[in-house]
Amino acid sequence: MNPLNIELGLGVLGLLLLLAEPFLSSSRKVLAYVAIAGLLVALLTLITSGGSMSVPATMQEFYIADALALFYKGVAIISTLAVIIISLEYAPVLNKFVAGDNARGKEAGLGEFVSLPLFVCVGMMVMASAKDLITIFVSLELVTVSFYVLVSFMRRSAMSLEAGVKYLILGALSTGLLVYGMAWVYGLTGQMSLDGIQKALVNWKGDNTPLLFGAALVLAGLGFKVAAVPFQIWVPDVYQGAPTPITAFLSVGSKAAGFAVLTRVVETFTAKGSVIGDQVIQLLLILAGATILVGNLSAIAQTNFKRLLGYSSIAHAGYLLLALACVHQHSLAIAPRNIVAFYLATYLPMTFLCFLVLSAAKAQGVGEDLKSLKGLGHKSPLLGLALTIALASLAGLPLTAGFMGKMFVIFAATYESNYLCLALAIIGAATGFYYYFKVILTIYSTPEVETEKIRLSVLSKVMLGVFVAAIIVIGVYPDAIQHVLVAAVK
Amino acid sequence: MSPLEIIILLPILAALAVWLGAPSRGTSLAISLVNLAIVATLFVQYSGQHVDGKMAYQAAHTVLTTPHIQFAVGADGLSLTMALLTTIVTAAAVWCTVDKERIYYTASLLISAGALGAFLSTDIFFLYAFHELALIPTFLIIALYGHGEKKEAAWKITLYLGVGSLILLAGLAGVVWLCSPKGALTFDLAQLKPFVGKDNAAWWGTYCFFTLLLGFGTLVSLFPFHSWAAPAYASAPTPIAMLHSGVLKKFGLYGLIRIALPLFPGAIHTPWIQQALLLMLLGNILVVGLITIHQRRLDDLLANSSVMHMGYIFLGLASGNALGINGAVLLMFAHGISISLLFLLNGKLRNQVGTLEFDKLGGLATNAPFLSIIFGIAAFASIGLPGLANFAGEVLIFLSTFQGFDVTKGFTMLQITTILSLWGVVISAVYMLRAYRKIFFGAPASGLFVSDPTLSQRVPMFFLSAVLLIVGCQPSLLLNVIQSSITAIGLK
Amino acid sequence: MIESYLPILIQALIASGFAGVTLLLSVMLGKSSKRNAMKDSAYECGMLPLGEAQPRFSVKFYIVAMLFVLFDIEVVFMYPWAIIFKDYVNTIGHDIFWSMMGFVSILLVAFIYAWKKGALRWDN
Repeated sequence: MNPLNIELGLGVLGLLLLLAEPFLSSSRKVLAYVAIAGLLVALLTLITSGGSMSVPATMQEFYIADALALFYKGVAIISTLAVIIISLEYAPVLNKFVAGDNARGKEAGLGEFVSLPLFVCVGMMVMASAKDLITIFVSLELVTVSFYVLVSFMRRSAMSLEAGVKYLILGALSTGLLVYGMAWVYGLTGQMSLDGIQKALVNWKGDNTPLLFGAALVLAGLGFKVAAVPFQIWVPDVYQGAPTPITAFLSVGSKAAGFAVLTRVVETFTAKGSVIGDQVIQLLLILAGATILVGNLSAIAQTNFKRLLGYSSIAHAGYLLLALACVHQHSLAIAPRNIVAFYLATYLPMTFLCFLVLSAAKAQGVGEDLKSLKGLGHKSPLLGLALTIALASLAGLPLTAGFMGKMFVIFAATYESNYLCLALAIIGAATGFYYYFKVILTIYSTPEVETEKIRLSVLSKVMLGVFVAAIIVIGVYPDAIQHVLVAAVK
Repeated sequence: MSPLEIIILLPILAALAVWLGAPSRGTSLAISLVNLAIVATLFVQYSGQHVDGKMAYQAAHTVLTTPHIQFAVGADGLSLTMALLTTIVTAAAVWCTVDKERIYYTASLLISAGALGAFLSTDIFFLYAFHELALIPTFLIIALYGHGEKKEAAWKITLYLGVGSLILLAGLAGVVWLCSPKGALTFDLAQLKPFVGKDNAAWWGTYCFFTLLLGFGTLVSLFPFHSWAAPAYASAPTPIAMLHSGVLKKFGLYGLIRIALPLFPGAIHTPWIQQALLLMLLGNILVVGLITIHQRRLDDLLANSSVMHMGYIFLGLASGNALGINGAVLLMFAHGISISLLFLLNGKLRNQVGTLEFDKLGGLATNAPFLSIIFGIAAFASIGLPGLANFAGEVLIFLSTFQGFDVTKGFTMLQITTILSLWGVVISAVYMLRAYRKIFFGAPASGLFVSDPTLSQRVPMFFLSAVLLIVGCQPSLLLNVIQSSITAIGLK
Repeated sequence: MIESYLPILIQALIASGFAGVTLLLSVMLGKSSKRNAMKDSAYECGMLPLGEAQPRFSVKFYIVAMLFVLFDIEVVFMYPWAIIFKDYVNTIGHDIFWSMMGFVSILLVAFIYAWKKGALRWDN
């Protein structure tokens, strides 16, 4: 089966939903349910026929369906599913800030809010498979442009608009850097496909400065997408202003897809014998160290949960970059690309859990400040427990998924003898204990004002259960993910 | 399924049940007693059947293929002794918790499960992980229900233990790297081989050992990384103080004996490491000891004394011979029992009297003779009076440092340290006896009302003091199994 | 190589020459010395250049303008497509036809959506 069929199917589904939206007279929630069903079918297809995927010869130049690609496709589908489920919880807020006074019905905008994530999903799935500069660029733009709309979706909220403008301007800047870098790389090597570039880099004769310049620009462009320091400045404001489901999508889906591309690009640049390999690793180490430090230290002072998660997302990008920088270590018997994939797989459930709780809370009138979450653990013990597990996992406590990811990164850094980055990672993780535990403490302390119990829909409860189970199962039985990844390598 | 897996899982399941609404005290108490019964049975069975001190009751489930991590449990004399300590203290801690929120019971059970898991795992991944499991409940309870400067104390313990654990993790990464069989990284203790570094590679072993010493040491409040312990214990509610100072803190020492000493044989005798360790433990005994004398509140005094006594156990480890390590393990057990009994009494006094300041207390023995007797036993045990459990351990440790003493060469640094440490015994006698006198004797302070606890509340106190007496009079009950296992893991 | 740019050069010359010649003729033939206020004011397609410096336009203008640009750009993709169409069909196959149909139908969906949403209505 051609793996592109899944992407095409989802794209067509998105278009149909967009088309159905203006014609539909019944509740817009139907569209969301159709999208969920479609995504489930896609996920099922991916799982059942993952082994038998074959790329037609005409596409092999720019499209690859190896285990890593299939894994990131799965991540893309699951995060889109989660985003749509969270959107259903968030619908009242969305409606409040989208519908005008004379809007038809109470569900204005919900239809588009379902179909746009599908387009993002298609983009991320293609990114997972892209191994050609053009494909990378086009799929990345599909994702980014859809996000421009989604981030500023709540057009009557000044915060959302501000976020939209910031994201648009910095996104455009990063795209510019990326394309400029690609132009340099293409101009020097004459190759568009990553395989070709790799060969050219290995056989390069002469000065490698221009190559390095191009590579650095490409890394900078991608650095924006994964929120690496110093390209992280857009993150806090955009995360805070965007609709909460979209913030979750940005911090998981967009980051995962960005790292899928980054993995392939870095592996190309640092291939054995590449003339710029060592310098690129140095660059990555600098990025990683700065990202870990800035992300974690800035998170300490945050009082808004959404902003805190924004900085935490930066910090996690740092660990991921550190794993990528250990691209040449082999002692661990896990390839760095798999450490990155593993880390992202663990990062997905814990982040979505936090955002699910945030969305439900916001929809029921509770704010996003840490203060307003006080007493959550007493009022709804299950929700409190789920959030505690998610935060403990983000902090990297053992027996949760988050620890396994961090452990692999720390081990890889130890074996690669990157002691400075190792020290920074340890400082960062210790800081993480502080600000994640601060949230745990908040949800168990007594509230100043009585607030309502937070209610969740059945779908959200299912999602909650699945994600909590995933955190613990991966934390206790990491082979579960490892099997998927190793199978993909073969 | 190994019985060890059952005793680790039971408290976790019970904690979940309590959290979701099961009757809190009944469930917790039942599970703690069942666990105590199982562990005691296993202990008796083991000391009868396994004179060789090898691992028993083993079971393993692979959770990660490369590098090899498995959920593996197994017990020898060393871990059974620690498990016995855990279950005894848990039962006492849960028993003395009455009419509290569910979260108290959940936390106690989780800490107990974490400690049991750490002591009974034979895979260093889970050994490490279970210890961390106990960190969240400790932090939460201190931060939410602690006394005094609870938030500060909670943050201090969390950050210190967090950083300590991460340093430890880096050390463990080194262990896995250096000690794994060729070509296959593994976390399985049974497969990790002692590190023998040739010439240039030897320093890897010493540095890795030192990292482990710092990591584990922070968890045991080794001077100068001890400042988290006193405020945390002084602030913590009774069951948490009992469980953490009595049981969980011993994890660091257990880890040193189980992982660091056997896998890096001889590293402890490296001059700079031994000297550093001796200086640090002298800090525990003398510096913290002097600080303890100056405390004016019972909770601060107990908290500091708990830090101080860790110095003796480290001295046993620093001696590097089997005798000292036997003594250290025995003292770990005895200290766990005595300090938790003291914290139990501390909690009772706080509830009844409302103040713990020595200046406001006095003459309590008149109205509460039972309390005063029990406190006496615990305080004497803590000082190291003969006939009580701590004595045997301390004597073994002091003797071990004089092993191979050569009159012609004079004292080595180890022996000088021992001589200085003996002053620590005097220091503890000073502060403990003074506390005892100020609280229970002298002129009764006005406005204090105190009575002996009810019969049901006397049970845990009676039980803990009985353990102190029995082990004190017959230390061979424990020493037999400890010794064979210490030999079996290769410490001579 | 360079001579293939000759047509561009010629076009540039014609364009600037036309503008220059027109200006020159108007100066030479017109009564350029006669000036008045009306003559000196800016020429704005016959509209009076009065009012605020930054007048507000209805958002409808922008929506229509954007839609125009979008559907206008569509054609830009069709020119190169049309040029290689015949060769491609002969050598490789009919994929090229369906690719463009896909592209057009995506735009069609967008068009229907915009229409149905009332983006083209002028009266509300």
